[in-house]
Amino acid sequence: MTTLAIDGLGKTYADGTEALRDMHIMARSGEIVAILGGSGCGKTTLLRLTAGLDQPSAGVIAIDGRPIGGTHPAISAVFQEPRLLPWLTVGRNIAFGGRRIAKPERQRRVGDLLERIGLAGYGARWPKDLSGGQQQRVAIARALIGHPAILLLDEPFSALDAFTRASLHELLLALWQELRPTILVVTHDVDEAVFLADRVVVMRPRPGRVHEAMTIGLPRPRNKLTSEYDITRRNVLRAIDRSLAVDRATGSGFGTVSPWV
Amino acid sequence: MNWGNLRGWLTALAVPVALGVAWEVAVRTGIAPGRLMPPPSRLAHTAGALAASGELQTHVAATMTRVAIGFGIGAFAGTVIGMVTGASETARRLLDPSIQALRAIPSIAWVPIFILWLGIFETSKLALIALGVFFPVYLGMLSAIQGVDRKLVEVGRVFGFSGIGIMLRITWPAVLPTWIASLRSGLGLGFMFVVAAELMGASEGLGYLLLDGQQMGRADSILVAMIVFALLGKASDGVLVALTRPLLRWQDTVRSRL
Repeated sequence: MTTLAIDGLGKTYADGTEALRDMHIMARSGEIVAILGGSGCGKTTLLRLTAGLDQPSAGVIAIDGRPIGGTHPAISAVFQEPRLLPWLTVGRNIAFGGRRIAKPERQRRVGDLLERIGLAGYGARWPKDLSGGQQQRVAIARALIGHPAILLLDEPFSALDAFTRASLHELLLALWQELRPTILVVTHDVDEAVFLADRVVVMRPRPGRVHEAMTIGLPRPRNKLTSEYDITRRNVLRAIDRSLAVDRATGSGFGTVSPWV
Repeated sequence: MNWGNLRGWLTALAVPVALGVAWEVAVRTGIAPGRLMPPPSRLAHTAGALAASGELQTHVAATMTRVAIGFGIGAFAGTVIGMVTGASETARRLLDPSIQALRAIPSIAWVPIFILWLGIFETSKLALIALGVFFPVYLGMLSAIQGVDRKLVEVGRVFGFSGIGIMLRITWPAVLPTWIASLRSGLGLGFMFVVAAELMGASEGLGYLLLDGQQMGRADSILVAMIVFALLGKASDGVLVALTRPLLRWQDTVRSRL
């Protein structure tokens, strides 16, 4: 199985902006790690580097100890927007994620996934005919058709309403239980992090780096209405407060109002 | 055809039909002379005579052949060069300024030099038409490639495509709508320039029919040639739209409505 190691990762853009500094994250096989932070703390940069869409200025990303130099067949991604290809039907959009799979098997998986995401019979429709939530379901199916060892999620549910978001959380967890990819999910939503993750990494901005990592010990399936859930949620909120306190102490002047309430 | 569509047609035809009938009546009753502005019946008669003698078909065939070849050359060159300059920053810096400079020359201004270089016969005519078609197609292709959504290119990269794969699976389908729109405006310009080309000296073609009508004082054959031009232009555009419609089924907006 597959371990993702992010080791000493740094990114300074050409204009001198330091987006990330000395990031260390280790995600064990099949683990869900949530990267939690406000805007401008380099979460998306971290995910882009891991996906191989940008090159790091420092440090390495390694799968099972082997550094990767760009996009990697074991790594798949769901973006903030569905990013479906509008000229492909829903079925073909899902198939797009599985170019390495033999065609008959790919067709079979497309059918399976359409059913799993509740869009059986939508295979021949165009993306424009789907709602935002349905499109994001298709994006998840596209990311999982190749059975990736590592799945990256970049605030994938932030544009959706609370009901749709909750149902997509359930869907994601169901598919995760089945395929067991290692998941790195970037979010600014405390509830999302606590509900999904085995571990939460709280980030701190300017430059983006790890402030604190905590394990979420809640048993699955998780019930949001238990007091344990509430306590965990408060612990995460406290960690965020601490990260902001550091920020205030260093005088950056940002983050004085918690954006997570 | 549904009812709303039919009503649209009838509404659109009301004004030209009314004017035609009024003019017919005016000429027949002797209120207006019909020599320089012949009435519809006279135009129909002239068109019938031209068609019966086979003359009209010869002219149409000559004009359409010129448009087809000139459009083919211009559209092909515009597509390929637009692709190259769109895809490569170096090629763009190298070529685009010169092409933009050439575009600043009104295309008709090329006529004398084309005649000197290529002679008075077919080659210079085709060159003029191709030149007219080239610019809109080139510009359309260049801007379409530059406008391809970076986010979709990233999707291609994440799922293991690169180079040619991205080109074929992301860039090409993404530029299709703009490219087809630019082909349509290129075709329109092709018809514009075939007239200019045929006016500069031809022994057949609808442009020749125009010039001949002017020299012989035959307003009716001029008007027939003009009407045939309009019909051919519209029909060619319709064919282009019909041929490309299957490629654009996925689009949100129905841009291809005639």
